[in-house]
Amino acid sequence: MSQPISNCPNCGAPVQFRWSGAAQTACPFCKSIIVRTDIELKNVGEVADLPPDPSPIQLLTEGSFGGQRFNVTGRLVYEYENGGWNEWHIVFSDGSSGWLADAQLQYAISRLAPAQALPAQAEISRGKVMTFNNVEFEVATLTLARYKGFEGELPFPYYGKSDMLFADLRTTGSQFGTLDYSEDPALLYLGEWVEFDQLQLKNLRQFEGWA
Amino acid sequence: MLRYPGYLAYGLLLLTGLMWAEYRGWSLSSVDQVKNVPKTVRDNPGAYRSHYGFYPRYVGGK
Amino acid sequence: MSSPLVAPPVVKTKSLSCPNCGGPVELRGFGHALTVVCPQCFSVLDASTPELKILQQIEERWRRTPKIPLGTRGKIGGGEFEVIGFQTRSVEEDGETFSWDEYLLFNPYKGFRYVVEYDGHWNFVTPMEAMPHRIALGGRPGVIFEGRRFKHFSGAEAVTTFVLGEFPWRVKTGDKVIDDDFIDPPTVLSAETTDEEVTWSRGEYMTGAEIWKAFALPGPAPRASGVYLNQPSPFKSGGMWTSFGGMLAMVAALAIFFSVFSANRTVFEDHYQFQTGDGREPSFVTPIFDLKGRTASLELTVHANVTNDWAYFNFALINEDTGNAFDFGREVSYYTGSDSDGPWTEGGQTSTAYIPSVPPGRYYLRVEPEMDANAGSFVRASNGKMTRVNRMSYSITLKHDVPDYTWFWIVAGLLMIPPLAHTVRGRNFEVRRWMQSDYPPVQHGGN
Repeated sequence: MSQPISNCPNCGAPVQFRWSGAAQTACPFCKSIIVRTDIELKNVGEVADLPPDPSPIQLLTEGSFGGQRFNVTGRLVYEYENGGWNEWHIVFSDGSSGWLADAQLQYAISRLAPAQALPAQAEISRGKVMTFNNVEFEVATLTLARYKGFEGELPFPYYGKSDMLFADLRTTGSQFGTLDYSEDPALLYLGEWVEFDQLQLKNLRQFEGWA
Repeated sequence: MLRYPGYLAYGLLLLTGLMWAEYRGWSLSSVDQVKNVPKTVRDNPGAYRSHYGFYPRYVGGK
Repeated sequence: MSSPLVAPPVVKTKSLSCPNCGGPVELRGFGHALTVVCPQCFSVLDASTPELKILQQIEERWRRTPKIPLGTRGKIGGGEFEVIGFQTRSVEEDGETFSWDEYLLFNPYKGFRYVVEYDGHWNFVTPMEAMPHRIALGGRPGVIFEGRRFKHFSGAEAVTTFVLGEFPWRVKTGDKVIDDDFIDPPTVLSAETTDEEVTWSRGEYMTGAEIWKAFALPGPAPRASGVYLNQPSPFKSGGMWTSFGGMLAMVAALAIFFSVFSANRTVFEDHYQFQTGDGREPSFVTPIFDLKGRTASLELTVHANVTNDWAYFNFALINEDTGNAFDFGREVSYYTGSDSDGPWTEGGQTSTAYIPSVPPGRYYLRVEPEMDANAGSFVRASNGKMTRVNRMSYSITLKHDVPDYTWFWIVAGLLMIPPLAHTVRGRNFEVRRWMQSDYPPVQHGGN
């Protein structure tokens, strides 16, 4: 894994990207959001301090899924009317990118699905059924969310968006999907619900009174 | 099969009883027994008094 | 110098002050809480902001004490969980109110679970991410999940009537959901429907004793009354009938064995004639015959050619050496005729007697036949008078070591009693279960 070292475009401090695929990180000294293009680093704003949060996962947590090991490199924190959730960015041992969602300690692993025909935002409503990879998905909830913050390294620039619409897609089994309407065209993420024990996570946060 | 050991024990008891009853020739029907029938009955069968008693006449028909 | 990655410090539990009464409010959920209830004044507080805005005050008449105290930890569902929240919900049906208690369990790694209690019956509940497939099961709603069929048991509007502790979502008394339960005992799948979403969860039945053991609670668990919707039936009768089948096969095998290995030996057989009105002594004795081997039974068969008449035989089976005798009698009657329904017969020309447990030895039979002296045909006697003479031919057969097949039928019948009782009690159990559902069974008839 190459680890290029550059200088923060705002304050000049040295900034190291631990992951070669990283496109965004935060300067630990001046808190600028740094976006990396092919040529240069750009300062696109300031990252908010993350409030204390209850996820047991942290940067550098490791785990297993689908026969591969993965590392947590970054995280996006979302909030909506009735709470919030974390999307931890993970990198598998083959270098591919994925997301480990932690929504009130219900965990799911997903990946960005290849571009395909997706229903438009106006067509989406609770109960709508669609098929991907020969599996039937049903829209379970529609959530209007915004970024609360991020940390670590992310595969794409995530900043400045507000009021993003997400559609939760559920199946009769452990598969699930998310339709992300914050982009145009919309993005589809497909994945699986997992139990905490299945992920064999190491290097987790410690909680007072819990082993 | 072994989930009801009480029933199995009950059944085994019945089967054992069944085998013993058959072996010993038991029956639900019983027959009166009489003791000390004298050997003279062989010479004079008419002298033997049946303990079975008088049997009422059967009148048949539909 | 590289960007420092500092591990966050150990997450600590928090204690805040209630804005209403100033009393301490403990937060055990490490920041998950959106709602928390002050245990002193029962104010429902919004925990999403540090100011703890007061949302509601719970009236005294609704307040309850959880059977498992908040803060208790238990080993359950493959992990260690702490009780951090408590909620009572009620359903109204036909003017009656039914309430149950829900305990919110928390583990900072594994997440949230529930323990639900109603009338001493408990369930361990796990939230489900999957949405089971809805189908029709025998004309009623049902769902299929993981290859199992779940029947709809009840659907009703449930209202939250009391809350205590903390919750990772917004909750207050008066909140309503439509609660649908689908059962496949010991499992229940519940769907909670609000305007915004449907949430599924899966419950597994547990007894009070198991819950008390998991949470190490003192004293005995409260007794369960009635049958609960997903309570497993202790009368699953399949196993008993299988055992019955096995033992019935053994009875049949024994019947075959005894019919094959019983000697069934004819020890005596002879034919005779008899007539009334000849003035002779009707009784006679047979020659002596040997009964060898073990104590066994005898079967005596008498066949007489009476037609529309009867004959009666007095028998005595006498042991020549001991003088013990078996004393009995048999009637042979046979009637036949024809009427508007066609030809009929009544009785038979053969009669049998079964003499059980005859010890071995030397025996003979004393026989005394009897016939109706006023029946029979007219004959001119030697003195010229017309008299009636009734006559018959008959045979006597004596077989040694004959099995009594009645025992096999009796044992088969007795073997049937426990599984029959079990099945009846099982049916009863299911009736009691479904009496509380939206589909109570009809009394007397129906299915």
